[in-house]
Amino acid sequence: MSQTVIPVGPFHPLLEEAEFFKIHVDGETVTGIDTDIGYMHRGHEFISERKTFTQSIFLVERICGICSTSHPLAFVHAVEDVDNIEIPDRAAYIRTLIGELERIHSHLLWLGLAGHFIGYDTLWMWAWKYREPVLEIFETITGNRNHYGMMRVGGVARDVPPEAVPPLLETLDMIERKMTMIAKAAADDPVLRSRLKGVGVLSRQAAIDYCAVGPTARASGLAIDVRKDEPKDAYGLVDFNKIVLENGDVYDKLVVRVLETFESIKIVRQCLEKLRSVTGPILNDVKEVAAGEGIGRYEAPRGEVFHYVRTDGSNRPLRHKVRAPSYVNIPTCEASCKGIPLADALITLAAIDPCYCCTERAVRLVDKQGVRVAADLLQLSREKTERLRRDVHG
Amino acid sequence: MAEKDNVLDGLESKIGRTVAKTGRVFFEVADENLSEVVRQLFFAKGCRLSTATATETHRGLEVLYHFSHDATGRYYCPRVVMTDRDQPRMRSIAPIVKGAEWIEREMAELFGITFEGHPRPERLLTKDHPKPPDRPLRLRRTP
Repeated sequence: MSQTVIPVGPFHPLLEEAEFFKIHVDGETVTGIDTDIGYMHRGHEFISERKTFTQSIFLVERICGICSTSHPLAFVHAVEDVDNIEIPDRAAYIRTLIGELERIHSHLLWLGLAGHFIGYDTLWMWAWKYREPVLEIFETITGNRNHYGMMRVGGVARDVPPEAVPPLLETLDMIERKMTMIAKAAADDPVLRSRLKGVGVLSRQAAIDYCAVGPTARASGLAIDVRKDEPKDAYGLVDFNKIVLENGDVYDKLVVRVLETFESIKIVRQCLEKLRSVTGPILNDVKEVAAGEGIGRYEAPRGEVFHYVRTDGSNRPLRHKVRAPSYVNIPTCEASCKGIPLADALITLAAIDPCYCCTERAVRLVDKQGVRVAADLLQLSREKTERLRRDVHG
Repeated sequence: MAEKDNVLDGLESKIGRTVAKTGRVFFEVADENLSEVVRQLFFAKGCRLSTATATETHRGLEVLYHFSHDATGRYYCPRVVMTDRDQPRMRSIAPIVKGAEWIEREMAELFGITFEGHPRPERLLTKDHPKPPDRPLRLRRTP
C-alpha cells in the first residue's frame, strides 16, 4: 500500500528550529513518524574536552537558549560529584532560585506556543506577556535576561542583593495572580478541553520503554523528578509537590506544566525568604578536581538533563557527555502520534516541549491535491479548533 | 563507600572491576553478560536508562551505560570494554531497552562501534546528509 510522507522540516515553521519529522499518513491518519536529527550538531562534547571546567560552564550554557541554566547546573553537579565538592548554603538557595525561575518562564513559553499551535492566540498573548516580568527578575538578579552565567564549581558567581528581594516578591505575587487567571480560563474553556483531551496519548508502559523524562513522563503516571529523587542544592530544604497525572494526553501534559509553575512559584518564594536569613559565602574556592568520574543531573523544565564527566586530575575533562531531555522525549512521539488524525499531530509533537537546539525539522506534503507544506499542518490544526469552537458555541 | 543495596544481587559473578561511591556504581561487564545485567536493572529493578557514553581510552573503546534507579536516586553504570580497536563490536541493548536506540545509533556513527542485533542500524546524525563523513568523527585515530 502506498503511503504519503509529510515532511515537517528541516526547519520547524513555528518552533523555528531545525529538526526533520517525517510523518507517515494514510489518508488523514498518522501511521508512523520518523525523526532525523543532526542539523544542529555543534560538537559541544568535543569542544568541552578542550576547555577548563569554568570555561565549559559558559559553553554548556549555550547548548539551549531556554533552559540555559539547566545545563551549567547539571555540569557543575557532575564536576562536584567527581570530588564530593560541597557548596555553601546561600549558594544552594541561589541555585534553586535561578533554576525555578527558569522553569516558570519556560513553562509559560510552552503554554503560549501550545495556544498558538491550536489557534488559541489569546492564551499565547497572555502567557508571553506574563513571562516578561520573570525575565525582568532575571535581569535584576543576574544582569541578563538569559544566559545568566551564575553557576560555578563550588557555588554561584553572583549574590542576590537583600534590597532586591521585596520587589521580587511583589512581582512574584503578580505572576501568581495572573497564572491563576490563565489556569482558570484554560480549565474552564470547553474548546481547549475537547481539543486536547485524549489527544496524543503516551501510555505509562510506552513512557517506561522509551525512558521518557520530565512532564512527558509525569503526565503518563511515572513519578520521576530529579528534584525529589536525588535532591541537590536546596531542593531537600524547600517544600514542594511532585506533580504526577495519569492519562498521558496533551491535556495532562498542559496541566502538569501549569501546576508545576505554581510549585515553582512556591519554591522561589521560600528561597527568597531564606536568602534574608541565610548569610555567608556564595562560592567555595575549588583549587583542583581529583581524577575520577562524576554524574550530574538536574530537572530542567523539559526533564532530566544529564552530564557525565571523567577527569584525570587536570583542569579540563577527559570526557564530557551531555544528554538533553528532548533526546529521550522526541522518540516517544513514535508511540503518541500513531493512529491520531493529522490535525492533532502538530500539537502532539509540540506537547513534549521539544528543544531542538538541545537535540537538534515540519515537512512538504506531496499528494493528489498538490504540494502542501508544513504551514498547512498548522492551518489544519487551527481549523480543527475553529470547528470545535463553532460546535461548542453554536 | 556506596550504600549496601540489592539492585545488583545475584550478579556478583558477572561483574568485574567496580568503582563505587555515594550514589554511584561504575562496574565492568563482559559483553556476553551485558544482556542479563541490563535485564535485571531495567525489568527487575525498574531502573531507567539515562544515556550511554562511549569513550576512547588507552585500553581501546569503552561504552558506559547510565541506569538511574529513581526510587533511590542512585546510578548503576555497566561498562563494556572493547580492546579490538579496528573492529569494535558489542551486543546491542536496544532490543531490551527501546530508549537505547538513538544513543547506540549515535555511538555507532561517531565511534565506529558495531552494535550487533540493533533493530535499526542506521546513521542518526547524518542519515540524509548529501556528503556523509567517511570515518567516525569522534575518533582521534583513523581506523
